[in-house]
Amino acid sequence: MQVGKESALEGLYARYGGLIFTLALRIVGDPELAREVLQDTFLRCWGGRDAYDPARGRVPGWLMGIARNRAIDLLRSRPHQARLREQEPLAGLASEPAQRDATDSLTLRRAVAGALQELPIGQRQAIELAYYGGHTQVEIARELGEPLGTIKSRTREAMERLRAVLWPLIEPKGGG
Amino acid sequence: MTEETVHPTEDLAGYALGALEGSEGIRVEHHVATCATCASALAQYRAIVSTLPMGLDPVAPPPEVWAAIRAEARRRRLPVGQGAGSRGRPNWRRAMWPVLTTLVASLLIWNVVLQRELTRRAPGPAPGPEVDALSRRPGRLVILAGTGQPGASARLFVAVDGGGHLAISGLTPLPRGRTYQLWFIRTGASAVTGGTFGVNARGLAWAKAGVPASLDEVRAIAVTEEPAPGSVSPTGRHLLEATTWR
Repeated sequence: MQVGKESALEGLYARYGGLIFTLALRIVGDPELAREVLQDTFLRCWGGRDAYDPARGRVPGWLMGIARNRAIDLLRSRPHQARLREQEPLAGLASEPAQRDATDSLTLRRAVAGALQELPIGQRQAIELAYYGGHTQVEIARELGEPLGTIKSRTREAMERLRAVLWPLIEPKGGG
Repeated sequence: MTEETVHPTEDLAGYALGALEGSEGIRVEHHVATCATCASALAQYRAIVSTLPMGLDPVAPPPEVWAAIRAEARRRRLPVGQGAGSRGRPNWRRAMWPVLTTLVASLLIWNVVLQRELTRRAPGPAPGPEVDALSRRPGRLVILAGTGQPGASARLFVAVDGGGHLAISGLTPLPRGRTYQLWFIRTGASAVTGGTFGVNARGLAWAKAGVPASLDEVRAIAVTEEPAPGSVSPTGRHLLEATTWR
């Protein structure tokens, strides 16, 4: 995005706003906080404080990274909410349907949901506690009462399974 | 076998998820900087991680959020922005040129200073192309004062995209098993490490530093002495410290 260009910001919001809100809500578990994360994410893009570096991946990943970091920071600054989150099941939150924008491929959505569903529970748990819970592998091992090496192996195996299914769908074609 | 030739296969996925602790993350970061195979695998893992939210049931944000973002964005409008308020645009555009000129001049000066600083302070091998390229990017300079070690100081050069490096002088060389470690101390969250480093016999070093995506929540940047290969959180006193950089 050209920093400071309102139409570009609006375009990004139209494409990724829903996804970022969904991610933020999944992490912080509170619509008000999720809204705060959503606003903050786009205002950081606007201000150029979190500059986009193409070498580190594509735009959605960049935006998700900003949103996730902000949400995890909020989560960690509110211990009572962290406890609340730990008591919830790891499945997706009940929700009202969102307007799905054209760029969010339904095929990819189904593939991601399916690939996660196909993972053995231990592997999915390792991924979800790290990504949505913001836990380190050491913390996950402690929480689940498993050796750290087991958590590392589960994470790697899970990521390999996801890569086998999803990478062919998202692999940049040609010059990108 | 050196650290560079042992591929951290088991840790790449955890690194992509941001789930490694201090020294583990540093080890992976150092490795992928020089290993194309692992860098490629990491890029794929990162791409996979960015798709994970798509596996959630979508939830629409409240409809008024966009209006709030737009209003705040207009309030914070940058010089290069374009907005609906066309009435004041011509005057505003004229005023933009001196600002841009000053900005470009400042960046050029900053880059020259940085190049000189790197050359002057580098005690080891000359900075490679990667550091040279990094130093050409715009960014800002943070001065760390020797609060815990009088006479010591450091300069942290932070590129706008978060990359950075550290030039240090005046620290005491450490014995085996000890290391210096850079920290970003955050409010309401655990400290984040920016990397570990040693100094040469003259107390000098330059080191590549990992910098958080945003310094907004960082209330202090500090260097401590820690057990090698580094700690998960700071245990030593602040030898160097900066609390203001904006």
